[in-house]
Amino acid sequence: MEARKRAALCLVLLVYCVDLQAHALRLSLCQIEYASEKQQLTIELRLFLMDVNEALVFDPDNNELALGQPSEAPHAEGMLLDYLNRFFYIKANGKQLTLKIESKRLNGEGDNTALGLTFRYPSQEKLTSLEIKNAVFTDLFFDQSNVVYVHVDDDSRSLMLNKSTPAHKLIY
Amino acid sequence: MRYQTLFLSCLLLLVASCSEPPKKESSAKETGAAETEAQLVARALEIHDRVLTMDTHADTPLRMIEPGFDMSVRHDPNESGSKVDYPRMIEGGLDSIFFAAFVAQDIRDDEGDSRAKALAIQMIDATIESALANPDTVGLAQTPDDAIELEKQGKRAVYIAMENGYPIGSDLANVEVFYDKGVRYITLVHSTNNDLADSSTDSKGPEHEGLSQFGEEVVKEMNRLGIMIDVSHASDDVFYDTIAISEAPIIATHSNARAVTEHKRNMSDEMLKTIAEHGGVVQLTMYSAYLRAAPGNPKRDAAIAAARANMKPPSEMTNDERGAMRQTLNEINQAFPDPLATVQQAVDHIDYIVSVAGIDHVGIGCDFDGGGGIEGVFDASEVMNITIELVRRGYSEEEIGKIWSGNLLRVFREVQALAEQKATKAAV
Repeated sequence: MEARKRAALCLVLLVYCVDLQAHALRLSLCQIEYASEKQQLTIELRLFLMDVNEALVFDPDNNELALGQPSEAPHAEGMLLDYLNRFFYIKANGKQLTLKIESKRLNGEGDNTALGLTFRYPSQEKLTSLEIKNAVFTDLFFDQSNVVYVHVDDDSRSLMLNKSTPAHKLIY
Repeated sequence: MRYQTLFLSCLLLLVASCSEPPKKESSAKETGAAETEAQLVARALEIHDRVLTMDTHADTPLRMIEPGFDMSVRHDPNESGSKVDYPRMIEGGLDSIFFAAFVAQDIRDDEGDSRAKALAIQMIDATIESALANPDTVGLAQTPDDAIELEKQGKRAVYIAMENGYPIGSDLANVEVFYDKGVRYITLVHSTNNDLADSSTDSKGPEHEGLSQFGEEVVKEMNRLGIMIDVSHASDDVFYDTIAISEAPIIATHSNARAVTEHKRNMSDEMLKTIAEHGGVVQLTMYSAYLRAAPGNPKRDAAIAAARANMKPPSEMTNDERGAMRQTLNEINQAFPDPLATVQQAVDHIDYIVSVAGIDHVGIGCDFDGGGGIEGVFDASEVMNITIELVRRGYSEEEIGKIWSGNLLRVFREVQALAEQKATKAAV
């Protein structure tokens, strides 16, 4: 077998939709990980860059914000957080986490370029509940599907959130 | 059987039919040259009712993990994007379906593998639960004959599949775990390379130059157990490696003809001929990008350009101004939607595959809830329009039966027969 690789959170789900112009299936991926031994909650959000540009500057091909690039506009992250605060939240044990981006990176190429965002929070309390709202891009596309993978220690679950079901609470 | 959407669909097809003369004479022979459109549609619906219809690829388990989503309730695809539920399968006369549990490729290490396995099992369990919760409407199926038996009982057959071999991880024993869960085909790879195989669409290019050594072992294990091998999404090299290694025929559960629509996800003439020579089947998918080159949308583009030309810089907009701009753009997109591929374009692919590979090597895998859905076959309630178009082009009932399920069931039987032979041999 070939040497196994740590494929650095490749954007795979996002290239699920191969032809963006066809707008066949609108997807984003959110991965939430809580490891009690590390006492840390990590959120990875992966969004098509075209969709981000459409949401923020009303043009999927307008790269003036240059998110995740060396030339990123000074106001770009603020605009992105403003948008996310309207459509996305995580509540751990009932407390909403303040969105603060730890890192941004781009994966893929062309229309399939994905913007990956990482949020990380120390969490000393035992996790008893997670409430997730992920309605990103439901203002753009009626059929936007936001897949959420939640890994809490050894327990893995998946959810699909969308316009009609934007939020869900998991109890542990 | 009810066909609530039939009237509109038939109207669309009536208009479209004017440019497409039948390619065969059988319909004229059977019905006479004076058959009206209404008579043709009625005849097609009778055929649709008689043959066993089977869709080999739906990503509906993704819907089933939506909190509160109920497969027994009819959903509006234009409201929610959902393309399959049990009421719409009944409306469309769709007798059987493979629901594919899909897990996105992620980190390829032990932790990533184990999470992928857990997520796949969760989706499979959701599929099983949805079938068990609707015992009067559907039944779980694991063998080719199950679909036939369930149809006799007036029920739809629900088969389980897995799209992407990632949840197998690096442990060959997991193939049997998934078989025991009811999985009857596995798509080796998805949109990027995994530990089994190279994808046709990974932007990084090939990693294994086909199947990996572990992928070869997985193929053999699928042969041993009686799981169909799905090469949709796989690179061309993976296709040929799989053909060379598999002792049973293979399938492409949702792929089209590359000569008709140039796309890496579609199959070349050589691949179509090769899969036929080895007894396999290509299941045509209703995904616009694989059915035709995307047409432009100049009216929408002009309207959007005009709206953008008059807007303030987005960073200076108030929330109200942003909301108003979004509404304007949404209204333009609704007024000038991107045109979808048509059922005629889909059947053009069927015609082509039949001409290259033969009538015994083509089927249907719509890819509903995974991007599939075209004009006239937008969701499960409209699949009868494929049959109407096939009848219009002169396909006989026997041929339509092969396309809708006969060819796939033949492969399914051969795959399971091989597994039985191997089990008998091992026992001796």
